Amino acid sequence: MDIASFVPVADAIPVHWFWLQSLLTATTFLHLVAMNVLLGSGIIALVIMFRRGEAARPLSCAVAESLPYSMALTVNLGVAPLLFVQVLYGQFFYTSSVLMAKLWFVVFALLLIAYSLLYLHKVGMGTSRTSLTFLTIAVLMLLVISFIFANNISLMQLPENWLRYFDQRAGWLITKGDPVFLPRLFHFLASAVAMGGLAIAVYFEFRRRRGDGDTDQWIRLGSTWFALTTGINFGIGFWFLGRIPSNLIDLSHPVGQLYAALILVSIPVAIVSVIRAMSGKIYPAAGWALTAVLLMTIARDCLRLEYLKPYFSLDILPQRAQYLPMVLFLLLFVGALYLTVWMIKLLHTSQEVQS
Amino acid sequence: MNYPVWELSFAGGGLLIAMVAVIHVFISHFSVGGGLFLVLTEIKANREKSPAIMAYVKAHTRFFVILTMVFGALTGVGIWFTISLLNPAAVSVLVHNFVFAWAIEWVLFFIEILSLIIYYHTFDRLDPKIHQLIGWIYFISAWLSLVVINGIIGFMLTPGAWLVTGNFWDGLLNPVFWPSMFFRTFLALIIAGLFGMVTATFQKDREIRQTLVRYGAHWLLCPFGLLLASAWWYRATLPPALEEMVFSRMPGMATFLLGFAVCSALIVLGGLVMAIRMPARLSRPLALVMLLVGLTYIGSFEFIREKGRKPFVIHGYMYANSILTEDLPSVKQNGGVLQIAKWSLNKTITDENRLEAGAEIFTLLCLSCHSVGGPFNNILKVTDGLRPMGMKAIITTMGSDLRPYMPPFAGTNLEKGALVEYLTSLQQK
Repeated sequence: MDIASFVPVADAIPVHWFWLQSLLTATTFLHLVAMNVLLGSGIIALVIMFRRGEAARPLSCAVAESLPYSMALTVNLGVAPLLFVQVLYGQFFYTSSVLMAKLWFVVFALLLIAYSLLYLHKVGMGTSRTSLTFLTIAVLMLLVISFIFANNISLMQLPENWLRYFDQRAGWLITKGDPVFLPRLFHFLASAVAMGGLAIAVYFEFRRRRGDGDTDQWIRLGSTWFALTTGINFGIGFWFLGRIPSNLIDLSHPVGQLYAALILVSIPVAIVSVIRAMSGKIYPAAGWALTAVLLMTIARDCLRLEYLKPYFSLDILPQRAQYLPMVLFLLLFVGALYLTVWMIKLLHTSQEVQS
Repeated sequence: MNYPVWELSFAGGGLLIAMVAVIHVFISHFSVGGGLFLVLTEIKANREKSPAIMAYVKAHTRFFVILTMVFGALTGVGIWFTISLLNPAAVSVLVHNFVFAWAIEWVLFFIEILSLIIYYHTFDRLDPKIHQLIGWIYFISAWLSLVVINGIIGFMLTPGAWLVTGNFWDGLLNPVFWPSMFFRTFLALIIAGLFGMVTATFQKDREIRQTLVRYGAHWLLCPFGLLLASAWWYRATLPPALEEMVFSRMPGMATFLLGFAVCSALIVLGGLVMAIRMPARLSRPLALVMLLVGLTYIGSFEFIREKGRKPFVIHGYMYANSILTEDLPSVKQNGGVLQIAKWSLNKTITDENRLEAGAEIFTLLCLSCHSVGGPFNNILKVTDGLRPMGMKAIITTMGSDLRPYMPPFAGTNLEKGALVEYLTSLQQK
């Protein structure tokens, strides 16, 4: 059977694909950062609480307080890339989602339970045994969700897997024969732990600058987690790169060239972020780390295009131009940024008044 | 015909989406009306210089944050997940046409989250006027979210001029946009009152409890007349054929219309009864019952709207089984459903594969609305006692004046025979 004949016909997009791809990349980056902070700080708090018990209270309280809001932000920031990926790659994404429909539907239920558990964990301020159990289950659920997401993305970009639908129509399909599946999943998870560590360091650095005591050990702890897991992630990253089929990246093509350049640039950027973190320059370290994540996000989008090249390129998407709604969206987005800054300043000032 | 079909048998026919959607619309309307409820109740507390009412607002806000941010937000994501699994082709049309409406809604959703968290954390920390301003920002962004989503939902019922122009604004500002927007706004206020009454009944002080329960009852009674007026306007705006389908021809609709009418009466009655002084052991269960009435109320409305759209998923554009109305004639001309469908295994029907092909035709054409043995549109019940000739006659008259609520059968005569054979085999199992 010709696999290409199973790829659904794409609907027309309302603006040039470049706009949508830029929005997809930008919002994926934001989502990944929020998701990394959520999962990573949850994992670290869990490990530290099990190892240090009561001594970890400042960290566990801070993380317990922030997790429900990190979750809210992760979900919100996940909506936009989910939207833009459907506009550009819907014919692949909907198909893969239907093929693994039961698992995909479970994501929603797991999210609901994990979110509720994080609130319950917050109520217990992260220290009681019950509260820790809530966090453990929530983190496990988030790990299952990341597994399902990775599955969907793999299935989406490997239509060769799709024909198994005819043997399994009830929505239980998982990806098979994808050599990069595990390294990619582990690469993302290690990145989450690293960014979680960095987020902890940034939070306590912020408190240190406000004059709070007992912050140094947590800044050090966060930085160490960041540095170690980033170091491990270099190894996983090379494993990931090594498993990508050799004929996939076409270096004579601009997308392949951009991918290679991004990987080459992101490595030193990540190294600089680790050096800065270990020398106590937390904010600059965060800047470098975010740059590395952004570069890797763009690289990831290039890789997807390379995977789908036998079936699709963005140029073939039909277009029915209507730009005014996008202009309105961008204006609202800028207004929302302004409002966000104003409200956060207000919150910051109100805390200062209180303290 | 473009996408594979998730083979749900028992849970098919809309059960999944109904479960997720009814809960979501209830909470999401609460997240809109409840925003206004919070701000106005805070203003009331300040004006009356009542620490007790202010304490109630704080407690209600905590409840509001958890319910709307956890269950409201995630069931919203859940709807999206569910419909994209059940009808990817329709979701694709919505997403491609309204991507920037969804994107605007996403930004508003972000402002909602941020402002609500700040509102919750800054009681006593901010100047009351500034704190209320944050509350207003929350409410306005939540209401604007409703406005945008209302446009897209209305589009599915009455796409209006979009069918000809394909223009974003024609689709969003469709014929039912305005009445539906007012209707949902008033409904949101009523639901805010229902939840407000529930939390009020947990107040320990008798006087404060009574005051707040009465206050909540006002939220039911004041917008009620306007709700009915907008419902009437909504009905009057429907194109005549659609209006006739919803109110006269759609089988099973009477239950939901009756449910809506009974709940309307109960909302008013409940509002009046709740205003009577009574002990907490009576008012609390009554408030909870009223909450269930509210859930049934909005559930009935959404069922009427969803069912009224049949046989389409986007009225006049795409049938519930994802076939475009303009493509229907060409399906037969091009060899039938199995030939046209991208995701069919049996492209031709032979003596050996008749049953398997019939099952595939059922999956492609019927499963989007019918379950097999499930509670919604159970095909076993529909075909119970029918002989093959009777089934054939029904399939042949689908989409005609006899059965306008079903899409015309898109397949060939051979496919019709295979489908009947499969349906008969289901009866014999």
